[in-house]
Amino acid sequence: MSENKFEAVSSMVDDYQQNDELFDEVLNDSHLSATWQRYHLMGDVMRGETADVINFDLSSQIATAIADEPTILAPHTSNNFAEKLKAKVVQFAKPFGQMAIAASAAGLMVMGVQQNSTDTDALLPASQVVKTMPFGGIAEPVSLNFQQTSRSSEKQAFIEQQRRFQALLSDHQQQIKLSSVDVNNTPPENKAEESAK
Amino acid sequence: MKLISSLLLLVTISTPVAANENSSAPVVANENSSTPIAANENEQAEPWLERLANSLQTLNFSTSFVVVKNNQAEPYHWFHGVDQSGNELEILSLLNGPRRDVLRKDNIVSYIEPELPPYSVSSQQITGPIPAVLREGVTTLAQTYDFISVGRSRVLGRPAQLIRIVSKDVYRYGHWLWLDQKTGMLLKLALANRTGQLLEQIQFTHLDITTDLGDSLLQLQQTTLPKVIEIPAGYQEQVLQWQVKWLPEGFKRLNANRHRISTTKRPVEFMLFNDGLVDVSVYVNPSEDNQRATDYVMDGATVVLNQVINGFEVSVVGKIPAKTAKAIADSVTLNAKLAP
Repeated sequence: MSENKFEAVSSMVDDYQQNDELFDEVLNDSHLSATWQRYHLMGDVMRGETADVINFDLSSQIATAIADEPTILAPHTSNNFAEKLKAKVVQFAKPFGQMAIAASAAGLMVMGVQQNSTDTDALLPASQVVKTMPFGGIAEPVSLNFQQTSRSSEKQAFIEQQRRFQALLSDHQQQIKLSSVDVNNTPPENKAEESAK
Repeated sequence: MKLISSLLLLVTISTPVAANENSSAPVVANENSSTPIAANENEQAEPWLERLANSLQTLNFSTSFVVVKNNQAEPYHWFHGVDQSGNELEILSLLNGPRRDVLRKDNIVSYIEPELPPYSVSSQQITGPIPAVLREGVTTLAQTYDFISVGRSRVLGRPAQLIRIVSKDVYRYGHWLWLDQKTGMLLKLALANRTGQLLEQIQFTHLDITTDLGDSLLQLQQTTLPKVIEIPAGYQEQVLQWQVKWLPEGFKRLNANRHRISTTKRPVEFMLFNDGLVDVSVYVNPSEDNQRATDYVMDGATVVLNQVINGFEVSVVGKIPAKTAKAIADSVTLNAKLAP
């Protein structure tokens, strides 16, 4: 595949040029389709518009496969391209729909780390700081961030952790809404100490 | 990168402060923090806050504000008015992303949000970025917070009075309020830690006060709100297996129930506490891990802290310092009454 083609695809992705012929070519060529998709993904990442979860393994496998040899990755049909785009949209839209606005801020944090994945563990100091607090004599495991040896399992653990945080955050906000209901405006004087008897 | 470094900065700054306090006995409140200043200025601050409450309840206003946290801005529209028969009307809309609206007609509040079909609850207050207590008057907070009138500044092109609501102990954040000198309305709200670093801000970008109801509110008046959901009696006062042994002074339990977290379907024991200004949720559930070190993230001023000890996961969520959340999480124990 010539470098020119990639450049042309790149400029199409960036809206610098509209070329129907090239569009047809992209549609009919799975290699160019994949390039198109990757360029969009790069753009999304750079603009910070990616979803919380991207299957890094998959995309890196595709990237390696493309770099190694011009393998045809998918059936050579024109629908293929549209389906890929659709799959991408679904993949990106789903996590956002589920987590929604309430958690989008926490989502941002994940992205911040994804973008800088070559840095040293960005959130490590946070857990270190908390770690130094007394645990009431219970043996404490090594921090999550230390246990991970492989980059991808670390990422998986991190994503899992972020999901957990987001789920908690949105549930917290939901419960506040239900707890401000009138029935509870005059709750029994339940101080924590009392309820803890 | 900026985000991360600010997060780190936050953590590094808050730790030495926390370390200086008497960490061994978190039960006794530290009284000497801000009382000297407060003693002189109390008389000035409270009338301002009363005026704010009055304005929020009685004025017809149309306003926009932006919640700034984590290098991110969430814009809102907020309308409020009182109709001829004295009923309050209120609309709060998030303007970016999927629709997220809160509507209120007097004591019916409806939530329109992407996760759930629209529903209403019977309540006098909408739940949003602005603490409901501000419209109800802050006298209930006097036990745990000091109110300090700090001085004047210019906000939203208007002369504004800065009032600080400062925790009497070290376990809470401070709220800074900039109030319009002319109308008493809120112009800016910020949450700051004890070193004065801002964690989250609400900046108003537009404020219109009118004698008549605006179009949106007139439209709301004609709208039929979704059905009010009934919360079964006792649902929010269930006897749970787990209990929280320690909370900062002034926190009361509003809710104790068992439910499933909507996104993960995980069943949890849940408790919600409130000190009048701040909500804190505590979750306990069995975990597939046996131990997991404490970890937390900050969403603006809201901390989400999570740890697993002996196969039980304890999570604390709320606008409190991580250190406080950790102390709350560590105080969770089995309810002795229910233990075999």
